[in-house]
Amino acid sequence: MEEETILNDGVEEEKEEFMTFKCCDEVYGISLDYVSEIIGLQQYTSVPETDDYIKGLINLRGKIIPVIDVRIRFGQEPLEYNDRTSVIVIQVKETIIGLIVDGIEGVVAVAKKNILPPPSVSSLAVQSRKYVFGIGRVGSEVKLLLEPDKLIHDIEEETVSEEEVE
Amino acid sequence: MRILIAEDDFASRKFMLKFLSKYGECDVTVDGMEAVDAYIMALDADMPYDLVCLDIMMPTLDGYQALKAIRDIEKDRKLPEEQCSKIIMTTALNEGANVNKAFDLGCVAYAGKPIDQAKFENVLRKLDLIS
Amino acid sequence: MGDDMITEGMLDMFIFETEQGLENLENICLDSKDVGEFDDDHVNEIFRIMHTIKGASAVMMYQNITTLSHKLEDVFYYIRENHPENIPHAELLDYIFEVSDFISGELEKIKDGSETDGNADDLIAQLDTYLKKIQKVNGGDAKQDAAQTEAKPVSAPSEKPHFYIAPVASDASRFYSIYITYNKDTEMANIKAYIAVNALKGIAEDILFTPADIISNPESANVVLEFGFKIALQTTAEADEIMELVNSSAGIEHVEINECTSEEFIAFCTEAEAPISTAGEVLMGPVEQPSVLVESQKPKTIALTDEEKAQEDKKEAEPAKAPAKRPAKKKPVAKKGETQSFISVNIKKMDLLMDLIGELVIAEAVVLQNPDLKVPGLDLTNFQKSAAQLSKITSELQDAIMAMRMMPLKNTFQKMNRIVYDTSKKLGKDIELEVIGEDTEVDKNIIEHISDPLMHLIRNSVDHGIESNEKRAELGKTEKGKIVLEAKNEGGQVWISVSDNGKGLKRDEILEKAKANGLLGNRSEKDFTDKEVYNFITLPGFSTKKQVTEYSGRGVGMDVVVKNIQEVGGMLDIESEEGKGSTMTMKIPLTLAIIDGIIFSVSGTSFVTATNTVTEFIRVTNDQLITEPDGEEYVMIRQDCYPLIRLNHFYHLKNGKEEMEDGIVIILNHEDRKIAIFVDELVGEQEIVVKPMPAYIKKVRGISGCTQLGDGSISLILDIAGLVSE
Repeated sequence: MEEETILNDGVEEEKEEFMTFKCCDEVYGISLDYVSEIIGLQQYTSVPETDDYIKGLINLRGKIIPVIDVRIRFGQEPLEYNDRTSVIVIQVKETIIGLIVDGIEGVVAVAKKNILPPPSVSSLAVQSRKYVFGIGRVGSEVKLLLEPDKLIHDIEEETVSEEEVE
Repeated sequence: MRILIAEDDFASRKFMLKFLSKYGECDVTVDGMEAVDAYIMALDADMPYDLVCLDIMMPTLDGYQALKAIRDIEKDRKLPEEQCSKIIMTTALNEGANVNKAFDLGCVAYAGKPIDQAKFENVLRKLDLIS
Repeated sequence: MGDDMITEGMLDMFIFETEQGLENLENICLDSKDVGEFDDDHVNEIFRIMHTIKGASAVMMYQNITTLSHKLEDVFYYIRENHPENIPHAELLDYIFEVSDFISGELEKIKDGSETDGNADDLIAQLDTYLKKIQKVNGGDAKQDAAQTEAKPVSAPSEKPHFYIAPVASDASRFYSIYITYNKDTEMANIKAYIAVNALKGIAEDILFTPADIISNPESANVVLEFGFKIALQTTAEADEIMELVNSSAGIEHVEINECTSEEFIAFCTEAEAPISTAGEVLMGPVEQPSVLVESQKPKTIALTDEEKAQEDKKEAEPAKAPAKRPAKKKPVAKKGETQSFISVNIKKMDLLMDLIGELVIAEAVVLQNPDLKVPGLDLTNFQKSAAQLSKITSELQDAIMAMRMMPLKNTFQKMNRIVYDTSKKLGKDIELEVIGEDTEVDKNIIEHISDPLMHLIRNSVDHGIESNEKRAELGKTEKGKIVLEAKNEGGQVWISVSDNGKGLKRDEILEKAKANGLLGNRSEKDFTDKEVYNFITLPGFSTKKQVTEYSGRGVGMDVVVKNIQEVGGMLDIESEEGKGSTMTMKIPLTLAIIDGIIFSVSGTSFVTATNTVTEFIRVTNDQLITEPDGEEYVMIRQDCYPLIRLNHFYHLKNGKEEMEDGIVIILNHEDRKIAIFVDELVGEQEIVVKPMPAYIKKVRGISGCTQLGDGSISLILDIAGLVSE
């Protein structure tokens, strides 16, 4: 995705900023370009007959937006929501959507050269792998960088697997 | 043919001059007052302009005023119609009201900017100014 | 050139007037279709219309329109002057429609900013032949007539030819804001800035900058250094190109280019106009003097010196002097105004106002139902009084905005006239269209949605409904084929019906087809009411017409019509009598945006349904429940039996109430059927603002939208048509 965007100050090496959050013991990152805001989880109205990861609708200051549970999206068992549970509101093209995540970690800048393509085989949870476009290395830590378009839109069938890394 | 261009904006003036030079001898003024002066001088010298291009938004005397002045002078001197100059307004004011006002004042054509050269030439042809 | 703004007022006016003329023309023609000739008024009117179009298009230099309208004007000139007998009217109408279509086509091109390159030569030749023909038929000396036509003044003698040269189209122009900062040690930053402006002039349609006095005031160099240099630019060029032009000069520290909206652009202009230099210089001079040349090069739009400013003040009466120039780009072409005093408002502004009023209604509910008010022992007398006043005003405000959005169906109906004319002609059927109630008003959004289905219904009637002329004679039907298009208000709804006196629907044929498609289930054919049978034709892929014609029966059938109508919350009602004709009625709500709703909950999920669909709420006991062997349930209420839908089962919601006594039954009215739904509890009644479901959520059966309630929570809007179609 965003290879060639971002500031070309020329001096510093090229970096991209990511909002990172925790989900199923992994730290995921989503480009700040997509993130509009972070809110606490509020009361939502569920919509019948939708995929189970679509939790329902919330009222974001008069705008009605859907919220999805990233954990369920990744094929994991849902956690009970607690006061750490947050909603990351992202906008992908015309779609505004809230992502329910276990907890917010923070914003990290990842140097472009430290973004590697995801390993091809199953060292990652199969379920979330298809939403990951790269792996960002920050110091000794690893962040799984998500492709929001794929995350929110369904592409082909979903294979359910419970594998996990580490 | 003799052409008078009144245009206060440099770029427009340069454009008009370049565009119309190929059809005849062009005189250039930068405001409406000068244009009227030039027009009177030309009449006095018995070398009236065949074509006058007036910008509307000009300092001192605007295009409408210049147009009216020229038509009044013609009337005053009882010039026969065929000796009157053809006047074309060149302007960015393209609201219908402006256009009609100009027509009422006696211009023969009204060209919106940026000027459509092909159509402009077309009009000159229709006015028998060029062949 | 280039630092001036293009507004297309003249062009808009031409398009508007010509469209009106054509509309008028078509109406006259359609009116006269059955009479078989034009009366004198019509002839005069058509002559006048063509004359006007001819004149206007000549001014605008649309040669092909001018020639064509001139030719038609000639024809009518002849008719007006010579009153010829026996003119082939139908043929003439065809030519007029062709002329009208041609001109409309060219107008579309003009609107798109493309070349008006249509070729009308053939049509002109045909009109010529036609003119000669009627001249001959009427025995007049063709030559003399022709001479007379030719000799007639091209236009009234008082009119001198005028020409309007439309500006080069530049629809694709965009607005940019450019911010340049210079290194602090840059010398003569003002001149550098001006060089940048100058570089942009080549591509600019309009350019404004601040500080504006960079040339006249050397002090501005410091301002530029300190605050940077801002440019607002209107151009068709891409940002890259701009960057290249700007970035060429030395000393530039940073350049930022952002595309902005025309509003931001205007805002910038207003801002930029504020500071005006005090440096009074020689204003203008001969072009040859270079020193003055620089001065005159200054875009007058903003860089006014005091002297200029003073002159300007003197000439206040003059319209649109420099600062008044505004980018009036892409303003909507005004359509079909009536002759009274109307203003045209951008529909987006209307929608915004509508949205805001919607928010206001919600906010009002939030305030008036605020839990803080529920503290026991509060004296709310004064509050309640003010609240009542507030409610009154908001509801009047709502009515007012609704009224503003209402438009008569006239234009839509007039289009149908033309469709009947064209279709019946091609099919060789003799059909008359009667229009009733065209002044009935409907919300603009709804009008947009019903135009297509209506067209389809009309075509259906012409094509399938009404028999061919021969067939009618054979059947002994003496009266002419006739379609009645009628609109009327009926209890908060608008009913638009299309009736024909054709062959009607054939119950047997439909049943047979339904049976073949396995739609009858285990019910016997006799059990089906006529209505149920007719409703089969609204199912996808159900067409009894064996032969496909150009006009209908191409696979898009009644199902699409019904879907379109349901989208605006309406329904289609079909009545028919075999051999006598059918009536299709679209029943459509007056407005979509704000409705009264009853709120209830099922398993914790909140739903709303329009109040006018609810007949009653009733608590029933288990013994009123009848369960069929196949699991379908019915409730008996006062001798009446209603099919029951348990919403929690319907939507597979967990933890809903199961016992009849615990929940409540709502009887809903749909078309002519009543159904009962079983819900957990009633929550209340409120005015709701209908919002579409976020597109991300796929269509859920029986849910047409969502809304925000007084407490800020969200409720799903139940769509009964969707429920029962299951």
